[in-house]
Amino acid sequence: MERRSLIPYLLLLPAIIYLLGFIGYPLIQAFYLAFTKDGALSLDTVRRALSDYYFWDALRNTLLFAAVIVPIQLGLAVVLALFMNRTFKGRDLGIYALIIPLTISDVAAGLIWFSLLSPYGFVNKLLMNLGITNTPIYFFGYQFRTREFFVIVLAEIWRATSIVFVIILAGLQMISREYLEAAEVFGAGYWTRLRHIVLPMLKPSIQSALIIRTLFAMQIFGIVLILAGRDIPVLAAEGYRQMVDLKDPGVASIYALIIAGISLILAALYVKFLRAEYLEVSRQ
Amino acid sequence: MRQLFGVLLAALVVASVIASGCISGGGEKTTVTFLSTQLNPPEERAFVKDELLKPFSEEYNLEVNFVPIPYTDLITRLEGEEQTGKVTIDVIGDLHGGMDYMAAKGWLMDLNDMPQLKDRTFITTFDRYSHMHGIKAYVPWMSATYVMVVNKDAFKYLPEGLTEEDVMTGSGKWTYDALLQWAKNLKEATGQPQLGFPAGPKGLWHRFLHGYIYPSYTGYQAKKFNSPEAIEMWNYMKELWPYVNPSSTVWDSMSDPLLKGEVMIAWDHTARIKNAIETKPDQFVVVPVPRGPKGRGFIVVLAGLAIPKGAPHKDEAWKLIDYLTRPETQVKVLEKTGFFPTVEEASGKLPEGPLKILAEGVRAQASTQDALVVMIPNLGEKGGEFTSLYREAFERIVLKGEDPQKVLDELGEQMDAIFQELGVEEP
Repeated sequence: MERRSLIPYLLLLPAIIYLLGFIGYPLIQAFYLAFTKDGALSLDTVRRALSDYYFWDALRNTLLFAAVIVPIQLGLAVVLALFMNRTFKGRDLGIYALIIPLTISDVAAGLIWFSLLSPYGFVNKLLMNLGITNTPIYFFGYQFRTREFFVIVLAEIWRATSIVFVIILAGLQMISREYLEAAEVFGAGYWTRLRHIVLPMLKPSIQSALIIRTLFAMQIFGIVLILAGRDIPVLAAEGYRQMVDLKDPGVASIYALIIAGISLILAALYVKFLRAEYLEVSRQ
Repeated sequence: MRQLFGVLLAALVVASVIASGCISGGGEKTTVTFLSTQLNPPEERAFVKDELLKPFSEEYNLEVNFVPIPYTDLITRLEGEEQTGKVTIDVIGDLHGGMDYMAAKGWLMDLNDMPQLKDRTFITTFDRYSHMHGIKAYVPWMSATYVMVVNKDAFKYLPEGLTEEDVMTGSGKWTYDALLQWAKNLKEATGQPQLGFPAGPKGLWHRFLHGYIYPSYTGYQAKKFNSPEAIEMWNYMKELWPYVNPSSTVWDSMSDPLLKGEVMIAWDHTARIKNAIETKPDQFVVVPVPRGPKGRGFIVVLAGLAIPKGAPHKDEAWKLIDYLTRPETQVKVLEKTGFFPTVEEASGKLPEGPLKILAEGVRAQASTQDALVVMIPNLGEKGGEFTSLYREAFERIVLKGEDPQKVLDELGEQMDAIFQELGVEEP
């Protein structure tokens, strides 16, 4: 009896060791670096971080990216997944094509879009050869920050919508056909079925997809660095700069903690407001 | 049991005999330990180990243990070794600023006591820099700098009064005002801004600010950071920027933009434009940078070789230094890494072609009459903070259009604080 009660703990042990070693320790270290000075508690580093010229810009830009990118990706992924959930010729090929960008790193994706849109890149050459424009359209540079912003959004949507798509598609395929058939028997049309059966049952998938995407959006870094340099400061890039260029691990930790904190809050909000509804339970 | 013990003992004896044979066999070759903060990227490391040091090992029957190391680690290790008296390092390869620090701490040997290095003349400026704190602290090893590259087509649009010759030799007429006029002409003629700078996050733009335009206008890198001359300089930058390709803030290196024809005039580190010149040696020339009211400010990056006090193999170390500063070795280093020789004889050994174009430009810049040589200050961990102040000033004044005086008042204080904290005089 005693030995059996130990087994679950033993089985949990590797995970606990992993969590403590790779997440707990660095987290404590980050707090230590952020809130102490010469071994004593101090808010000096926090002041230094908040008074940094780029701090508020970085915070605002990061949230803005997440706010623009994530909803578009979710909407697009749901539409694509609904479309791909039917059976038609070439469906597998379509799914493969949609998933390909998933295999490309953000830096590589950034480079692809940079070379496409640079003044003498493919898009500009095409426009000029077709006679649509005489001079190249600039997408990059401080003067064109708004354009840079939209190029980054575009590149992120191109690159990372597939992860949302995969999750939603998997969720869709889990929905039992019986519900839909039953609804059809009672005369529910496509939109009714979508609204009252498919979307509610998709909530758990939407929730995980949103959490994953938002976390990644908060860490947005490589693609911004390639496409906009520091014209558009973001949290992760500023944290990196503090660590590597300015050799200030304390301030860098604060950036990391802020990213972690916001991610945590957003994830908690998703969990709270997107509580999974199961038809069995909600049917009263 | 006793039998087993006997067998074990016999085995141990045999093993130790073999092992001692191996040890003494390998021990005949002395190993020179060479720590370097330079040539650390993987491909350069491979070049040093496989190509550069092999002939030396064969010639002198010496082993060289080449250890690439970051500056802070080097200092920590050397400090420890010097304090305990157990020195294991024979040769140190580092930048001038680092050498200055180590010499000031009294960790370096006075190389005046070593025999003369024959058949080579060190470039006078470099030789002068290597004497400091009362000793000959290091032997100049490699140098690098930042220059301007011009697409030959741009010469068609030279402003009035400025000739190709002026630009190529860096005459008194080749000024920042002339550059502005030239950039204007180019934009009017081609419809595109044709001047480019590596102002992206990984670009070396901050070096242009603190090492080129600041000294050219104020005579100093940091001392007159907030001064009427600096305001004049920033106003010039504001005037120039419309003729600079806007993508500059995203570019980290100017080689690609030059090759793609996105700009016709660019400034960058010699190593970062090498590729453009190698690819199209007929299209580009390397020229000195323009001059400002106070002279022609430019950075010289100088790396040297030193021997720490108490080095275990100082004679072998000297042989390595002798080998590394031979003209033919220096040409080999230039070919592979883009670092320029520190001995004059090396230029005679350069093959015709792209490297010669680069070397000529560098030489022309170094020998201009109004040269104002700038060394990157050695600020250790504060180096990043120092350069980021220039970048912030640029962003706020030129890109965001803030009032220069207000920005310089604010950042000037931070600049002073860096130097005060380190107890270093502002350069």
